[in-house]
Amino acid sequence: MQSNINTTKSKTIYVPRINDELNDFFSMALIWKQATVNNDNIIFDFTDCAFLRPNAVVFLGGITRLIQASGRTVHLSLSTMQQHVKMNLLQNGFASMMGAETEPWQGNSIPYREYVEPNEDIVLKYLTDDWLGRGWINVSKNLKNEIAGRMWEIFANAFEHSLSEIGLVCCGQYFKNNKELVLAVADFGVGIPSNVRAFNAQEDIEPKDAMKWAFTKGNTTSKTAWPRGVGLDLLKEFVRLSKGSLAIYSHGGYAYIDEDSELYDNHSAFFGCTVVQVTLRCDDNYYCLSTELDSAQYF
Amino acid sequence: MQRINIKGLIGQNAVTLDDGEIIYNLIHESLMHGDVVELDFDGVEIFASPFFNAGVGRLLVDLKPDTLNQQLKFDHLSDFGSRVLRRVIDNAKEYYASSTAQRNKVDQVLTSDFLAA
Repeated sequence: MQSNINTTKSKTIYVPRINDELNDFFSMALIWKQATVNNDNIIFDFTDCAFLRPNAVVFLGGITRLIQASGRTVHLSLSTMQQHVKMNLLQNGFASMMGAETEPWQGNSIPYREYVEPNEDIVLKYLTDDWLGRGWINVSKNLKNEIAGRMWEIFANAFEHSLSEIGLVCCGQYFKNNKELVLAVADFGVGIPSNVRAFNAQEDIEPKDAMKWAFTKGNTTSKTAWPRGVGLDLLKEFVRLSKGSLAIYSHGGYAYIDEDSELYDNHSAFFGCTVVQVTLRCDDNYYCLSTELDSAQYF
Repeated sequence: MQRINIKGLIGQNAVTLDDGEIIYNLIHESLMHGDVVELDFDGVEIFASPFFNAGVGRLLVDLKPDTLNQQLKFDHLSDFGSRVLRRVIDNAKEYYASSTAQRNKVDQVLTSDFLAA
């Protein structure tokens, strides 16, 4: 994938298996460091990679665009991929976005997308149709719209606050065995800790405290002349009600929220990226808003 | 009474700051003149806080809650739309109810040239 390599100076980066555990951030940090330390062209080799979770796919997609934006070339070596990794990246459209000729097809993946501009109609259609509308989660139309509205808060935040020159990257996956529906969104902008420090004019705010500040209702780094800061709170409420989870890594700061816990921490692995991952639990129940019950059909 | 068809103006998604500003610019003057305004959300399906922040929450800068309760009506607003709107209004009321000193501090930061977008 992706030719036109200047072979005079290329560096090969070996991509390992990347899941979404805290330790996996070290793998991403190592890739980040290798890719940004100098101006080499980059070859991603997947020989050692047995699995890439959506957070890893959006990270790789984003860093590829970032390297390209700096005038360097990137080659993602399909031939080094294990069959199931290759099939997943071909299926979700990541490979074709990176130059492979194989067109994506529908499977258990939510398509890989890159959004440079905040076109809400396109993004919301992606959320309602490609993420929530595939039959993996059994929700009413009204609830689907509500989930999409709450998820839009993530996209809106990233578009408005991140200053990411490559925009946003997203993709997802339905994990049938675990009955999990995952969506990951990444940007390579300034990051939440930096935004919070600048807004508060306080350079010594730790990443974990910045993450907590950003999730506190009423807090926002927006420069609009009216109150904001409801979006992340709405999202937090949603993942709790739905018994799902929300994990955000941003420039050394980490936040994890689920029904039982709310954790903010520093992470010693640093990479210049914000990755948001939302996980919904899928079961055989039909979900609708409580206010819809009265008008639901009896049979 | 001024009645505004939201879907006709911005489509079926009420989620962005820009669309909220369109509504704000349409209704602010009328409300200031004491007119009654009705926002009709028939056919609007998806809601998010940036829209209501820019369109409605900021009205509290120069109009009191009681006045807005009298003059600004919401029709065909979905359950979720209603919940987002209430959250935005509560947040705005909290902000404008804070002490002048606190608000000055926030506003000082808002008008400075920090990196935050």
